[in-house]
Parts: sequence; C-alpha cells; structure tokens
Amino acid sequence: MTTPGSRRTLVARRLLGALPLLLGVTLVSFTLTVHFGPDQAWELLGRNPTPEQVEQVQRQLGQDRPFLMRYGEFLQRLTRLELGHSQASGESVTGLLARTVPVSLLALAPGFVLGIALALALALAAAWRPGGRIDRLCRGLSSLGMSLSVVITVIALQAIFGVWLDWFPVRGWAVDNAASYLAHVAVPTMAMVAANLGYNLRFFRAVLVATINEPPARTALAYGLPKSRILTRYVLRAALLPILTRVVFSVPLILISGSLVIESHLGIPGAGRITFDAVTSGDQPVLMAVVSLSAVLFVVALTAADLLARLVDPRIRAA
Amino acid sequence: MPPARLPWLLALTLLLAACQQSEPEPLKVYRHAIDGIPASLDPAHADDVYAATLVTNLYDTLYRYKYLARPYELTPSLADGFPEVSEDGLTYRIRLRDDARFADDEAFPGGVGRPVRATDVVYSLKRHFLPDTRSRGDWLWRDRIVGLDEGTRLSDPDAPVEGLQVEDPLTVKIRLRRPYPQFTHTLAMALSAIVAREAVEHYGRSFGVNPVGSGPFVLARFDESRAVLEPNEHFRRGVIDLDAEGYDPARHDRFGLARIDGLTFPLLDRLEVHFIPEPTTRWTSFTASSGVDVVMVPPELSERVLAERDPIRLRPEIASRYRSWHGPEAGFVFHGFNMDNPEIGHHPDPGRAARNRALRCALRDAFDWQARNRAFYHGLGQIFPGAIPPILPAYDPDADADSISHSPRRARARLAEAGWQTDNLPRLVYGLESSVHQRQMFEQFRAWAQAIGFPASRLEARAYASFGEYARALGTRQVDLFLLGWTLAYPDAQYSLQLFYGPNAAPGANSFNYANPTFDQLFEQASSLPAGPRRTRLYRQLNRIVIEDCVIIGSLARTRLFLWKPHVLMLPDRDMVGGHFLRFVDIADQGG
Repeated sequence: MTTPGSRRTLVARRLLGALPLLLGVTLVSFTLTVHFGPDQAWELLGRNPTPEQVEQVQRQLGQDRPFLMRYGEFLQRLTRLELGHSQASGESVTGLLARTVPVSLLALAPGFVLGIALALALALAAAWRPGGRIDRLCRGLSSLGMSLSVVITVIALQAIFGVWLDWFPVRGWAVDNAASYLAHVAVPTMAMVAANLGYNLRFFRAVLVATINEPPARTALAYGLPKSRILTRYVLRAALLPILTRVVFSVPLILISGSLVIESHLGIPGAGRITFDAVTSGDQPVLMAVVSLSAVLFVVALTAADLLARLVDPRIRAA
Repeated sequence: MPPARLPWLLALTLLLAACQQSEPEPLKVYRHAIDGIPASLDPAHADDVYAATLVTNLYDTLYRYKYLARPYELTPSLADGFPEVSEDGLTYRIRLRDDARFADDEAFPGGVGRPVRATDVVYSLKRHFLPDTRSRGDWLWRDRIVGLDEGTRLSDPDAPVEGLQVEDPLTVKIRLRRPYPQFTHTLAMALSAIVAREAVEHYGRSFGVNPVGSGPFVLARFDESRAVLEPNEHFRRGVIDLDAEGYDPARHDRFGLARIDGLTFPLLDRLEVHFIPEPTTRWTSFTASSGVDVVMVPPELSERVLAERDPIRLRPEIASRYRSWHGPEAGFVFHGFNMDNPEIGHHPDPGRAARNRALRCALRDAFDWQARNRAFYHGLGQIFPGAIPPILPAYDPDADADSISHSPRRARARLAEAGWQTDNLPRLVYGLESSVHQRQMFEQFRAWAQAIGFPASRLEARAYASFGEYARALGTRQVDLFLLGWTLAYPDAQYSLQLFYGPNAAPGANSFNYANPTFDQLFEQASSLPAGPRRTRLYRQLNRIVIEDCVIIGSLARTRLFLWKPHVLMLPDRDMVGGHFLRFVDIADQGG
C-alpha cells in the first residue's frame, strides 16, 4: 500500500536521481552547441565587419574562454535560475519562456487531450472485435495518420477551414478573449489530432488487444458482464500503465518544444518556434534554457508516471 | 435536465458570452506580410528588411525616400529640410523639426515622451561605436566621420567626438574626413533611426524588444508571429502632399492613391505586420478573408497568378480580384570566386594569374543564366552584366552582354588556350546554404562545368546549416565559389561596387577578396564624387574591370510581384523605401 511516507521517499529519490541526469543532459547539449552548433557571432555581425569586430563579438559571447569555464559559469547561473538574455533579441530568457510556453500549452493541449481521448475510444472499439469493421477502419486511419506528412495536413486544414469554408483564421494567435481563443485553437487542435491519432491509435489498440486476451477480461466476459463494464473496469484499467506512461511523457514535449511544424505553419508564437530559431541561429542562452527545462520536466514526468502507476496498479503498490 | 448535458450547455453559454464580449474591430486595420521574423527592433541591428520594416515605423530617420518617386529620391523626415553641405563636401549641418517627440513610455519621467533633440542624433550615431551595442551598421560611418576612425570604440556615450557637434538644441553639425555623397542616404536607413538615451539605458539588453521612438506608430504587441502597431499620437508631420511624394496620375491612378492627398499621417488605426516565412502559408493567408492583405508572390507560386511572363500579365481571375504591381528588386544575386585562393584567384606569378583568370572566365562562360532564370526564378529575373542592377541610374543598358551569355564552346577554347586539362584543374569548394533549392543550383552549375570538361569530382559542395554559418565560411575564406544575394540600402552603385573594394575584404563585404589597386583607386575617386555623368562613367568603368577580371558570375535581379486586396490603397515597396511606405497606407470605405 502506498503511504505518504513512501511517496515522499520516491519523490526524494527521483529528485536526487535528477541531478546527474541534468548534469549529463546539459553537458552533452553544451558540448554540442559549442563545438558543433552554429556560430552565432556571424549571425550578429553586420554586412561589412572588420576582423576586430569579429573578435569583439566572439569575446562578448565568451567564445574566447575555455570550454569548462564556460560550462561551469552556465551551471552556476542555472543554480541561481539566471537564464540570461537571448543573444539575438536581448529579451530575457525567463520572459521569453513565460511568454511562449503558455501559448504552446493553450494552442496544443486541446488537440493533445482530444487526440488521446479519440484514439482511446477508437482503440477500445477496435480491440473489442479485432478484424471487425471498426478495427479495419482504425487500422486504415492509423496507417493514413502515420504516413501523411504533418505539413500536408496543416496546409489542407488551412485551405479547407481558413479559405474554403472561411470558419477559422488561417494562422496567427490574436487571442484576446474566449471567442478569439476558440477561433484560433480550432485548426491547431485538428492538426494535433490528425498528427498524433495514427500513432496513438496503433499503440493503444495493441495494448488493449493484449489486455483483452488476458484472464481477468476473459473471465469477466465468461461471466456475461456488460461490454462497457468489461472495457472500463477490466481492460482499460489493466492497460492504463503503458498508456499513462506514454501520455505523461508526451507532456514535456508539448510544453517545451511544442510542435514545430504546427507552430511554424500556423504562426503560433510558442515554445517550439523559439526553440527552432535558437537551434538554427545558435542562440545558446535560449537553447540551454530549453534543454535544461526539458530535462527537469522529464524528471517530473517520470516521477508523476511512477506515482500514477502506483495509484492505478495494485501490483506496484504491493511491491 | 440530464447531468450529461450540463457541460455542453455551460460550454455553449461560455462561447456565447465570449462572443458578446469581443471588442469591435478598429476602423482601419491593414495586415502586412513579410517573409521573415525580425530578431531585434533595435535600430542598431536593423540591417535586414524584416527589422527595417518595423524600425522605420516605430522610429524616425532624418531622411526617407519619397513614397512614389522613381528613381528613388530623398526627402526630409525628422530633419527640417536637406542638410546644408559645405563647399568642400565635408561639413553637414542638419536642422531638426521642432515638433518631433518620442512616444510616451515609462523610460521618460512621468511616462511622457519628450521632444527629439540634436543630442539624440549625436547619441544615436555614437551608440554604433559603443561595444555593448553590437552595431551592425557602424561600418557606414566608420572612418567617415571625424573622430570615428578605423578601430574606434567608444567606452562612454558622453565622450566627445570631434565630427559630431550639437550646435543648438535643434541643429547638429557633422564633419566628415573626406567627401561622402552617400552620407545623406545613410541617414535614411533604419540603422540610423534616432533613439532616446533614456530608453536605451532604461531597458538595457531588452531594448531590442522595447522600442521607444518618434515614428508614426508605437508597438502594441510583438511576438514570433506578428507585430501590432498603433498610431503614435505625438507624430506630427502635417498633411500628405502627394505631388511632393512623386505622384504621377498616369502611373498611380489605378491604385486609388489620390484620396490620401491632404490627409494626416498615419492613416491606419492599427497596422499588423505578420511574419510568415513559409510561402504556401503566406499565400493561403492572403487568399483567406481574415488573412493578410498583401503578398509578395513567391516565384514557386507564380504559376497560380501569371498568364504570361514576358510581359507580365496576370490571370484574369487574379487581375479582377486584386490590385498588383511588379518591378525589379533593388539588389541582385550572383556567383563569385574567392580571389584569395591562388588556385583560382590572385597569384604572384603573372603567368599563373592569367591562367587562373582563363579558368574563371571559362566557368563564367559555362554558366547559363537563361536556364537558371527559368529553373529557379520562373523566368521572372532580369539578367545583367556585372554588379550595377537595372534599378540604379548608373546601369548601362548597352553594356556588352558577353559576360552573361552561355558559351560552352568559348569556355572550352579558353581552357585549352590556357593549358588547363582534366588532370591539372584545381579542386574547388562550392559553398551553399543547406537547402534543396541551393543544392539543385549547385548540381546545375556542376553539370555546366562538366560540359566544358571540368570533372565533377573536382567541384565539391560544402553545405552550411544556416546563413550565419555560411557567412562564417565566407568571412574565413573557406569556399572558392559562392552564391550570394546583395540588397541595396541606397540607390547608388557605390553600394554594390563596394563588394569588390580591397579594404572590405573578408570578413567584410568583399567576399571575393578581390584586391586590385586600380579598382580601389577609381572606387575611392568615384565614391567621393557627387551624382553626375563623370561619376556614372567611373562606376561603369569599375563594373567593366570586375567583368574583365572574371571575378563575378552575374548577375540577376529578381522581379517583385505584389498582390493586395482592393480595399487597401497603397503602392507597396520593400526595397529602399522599405517600411516607410506603411505610413501612407489607407483603407477604403466599405465597397470603396
């Protein structure tokens, strides 16, 4: 049985374990951005720089100092939660994240949740009668969803709902109130559902089909329990562990990296967009902040997944 | 009521309530679209069209280009008249308007903007030489203004600079080291926009996202998707005088511009600038009713809008729905050789130098500009010899076109005559930005080179992940052949010919690393002459020198084709005028 004490121990263990993970992730990222990433000094120079100016900007970016010293300084600042300023715009990285992460969340979370709910509902129906009409439809849908490029899907949605039907804005994020939010979130939601439905449906179906063939579900079936009860009480509950793990681990991706393609094509000023810009331009403060925050969020997700697993699965609680 | 219906009912109520709460749209909103995202709105960083489009509307420059006059003509903006220039061309006295004020901002005492003064002009120019500014435009004035010599770095904005003097609160006197007729043009560039020292110091590093200027608009919102600008209530520039802006009924009547004559700036209640790098999305947004109001048609989408290319004629369904304008860009694209590599460029041995020149000329002869234009610019580019594009007054329509004619036979003859054979041809590195488009351009070039006997294995493509990386490769002389575009910041051939000026060698603008004392001497001579036939002759001579030396393979000026919705009254421009035209944009009444 899970007690508050054991939960605290688990959280403490996870947080301790997060330190080497954070160090490892930041060290690898720092090494990659310093030695293999774009040299931002050249992005910041004008059209006709002198060699002295090149050196000066390189000095200002700290490129003249030893790697370990730079990494050490970065860690020091990170412990003080000083994320610095974007080298390109001068905006504080904290402000940048505070501005963009909520936008990603607001724009993509509805599609994320709806996509999972839809995939789960379809997967349950498909798993109940493998090879049946719904299952065949689901297999077709998942193949289509996985093979269709997100770019094509987004362009098609823009053309249908933005131009042809003229229901929703083609792009942008001019959200001032609930009505404008609903109008602007519609196409990203459809795009998110379309982008993830195929993968989720295939995964959920496979898990549910395996669970439905296990003794508890088969026994419930033999007892003649209603279909809805078997699916929700015996099948879904038993399959919840891998499903939850998949869902919880997707959350940091939505929060931090957003969905680059969806954000880019739909003009959503979210975290994915700034991450992409930072990667291509070599804006190290932004990039390292995103990497560090992602690592922290993954640790949180890992802990949350463990706690939820204990909550839903008595076997883990007993262990 | 069944409980299951309750959430739906709540959601519907919320939606209806939200719809009722939505504010009415302002009367006149114009949604502009550009194909890139400005990183910073600090004028000292505004050397690209994306930042300049916003900076010229949030800040004001001493001068600007007339809205409609072509060729481009300067006109005062923040300055009260043209500068008084001394006879020797070295002293400029510029008087400011007395009604110009900075927009209200918390950077000022009480949050109220103060008048723009001569000290602001001096500070704005000095600021480019403060290391913390990381100016991208100091090169325009470096070694030009007395006291701002090569290598000058100011440590304090209060440090006196001999060539920058405040005569009285509204007059600034600038002393140059040598005549610089292009100087007034540099004061029309976004880089020269006037900033307030209080704002720069108040916002510190975040000044780039907190603009405080004296332009026609103030920033209401700015993110990676769009910028929203609203009128600056302190912006007073009298009424619009269309005749003074170069209005010509024969050319401009069809754009409905006559109705803005006599109105006051700015004409919009809100200006939105949307950043849409993806061409398809830009087009989709334009065709949607709530999308952007203007599109610069990307070449790859020209099929959708053009019925004919030469002369350009729109499809009837497009012509009936939108207003349009097309013209050549103020710039060009070209290929160049790295003359610093003795394998293909300058060589101390005159014999080898001559052989290298023959090789460069052969590769240029192999280049098929017509095919390049058809394949990558949809036949809409204008091909011209050298580096003086058709938009410039110094362009020579009668110039010898040999350097842009495709002649594999002549190329092979040149190679044979210079003793180049398959086994002694050098290995060359062709630099490109990592994209399918540029890779295809390389393959096309390599095929032409192969056709004249240059082995494919000797031409190696080296791709760079971003423009910054590509700039570094050029700046550190790592590539032998390169493709570049050059956009003119002012309408003077000096701006394009400086690409070959020796002291500008890499990491400067002279990516060719061309070093020719004769060229440099003539360039310096031409650069200090006022506009006129003598200067034009010199510019053309300089152009012929680089053509003769086979330093450049080029060039091609792309055609800008704009479409915009009929209720928008404007003539768009993204070149010299850049964002300045936005203060003239008006929206017709319903059905207007």
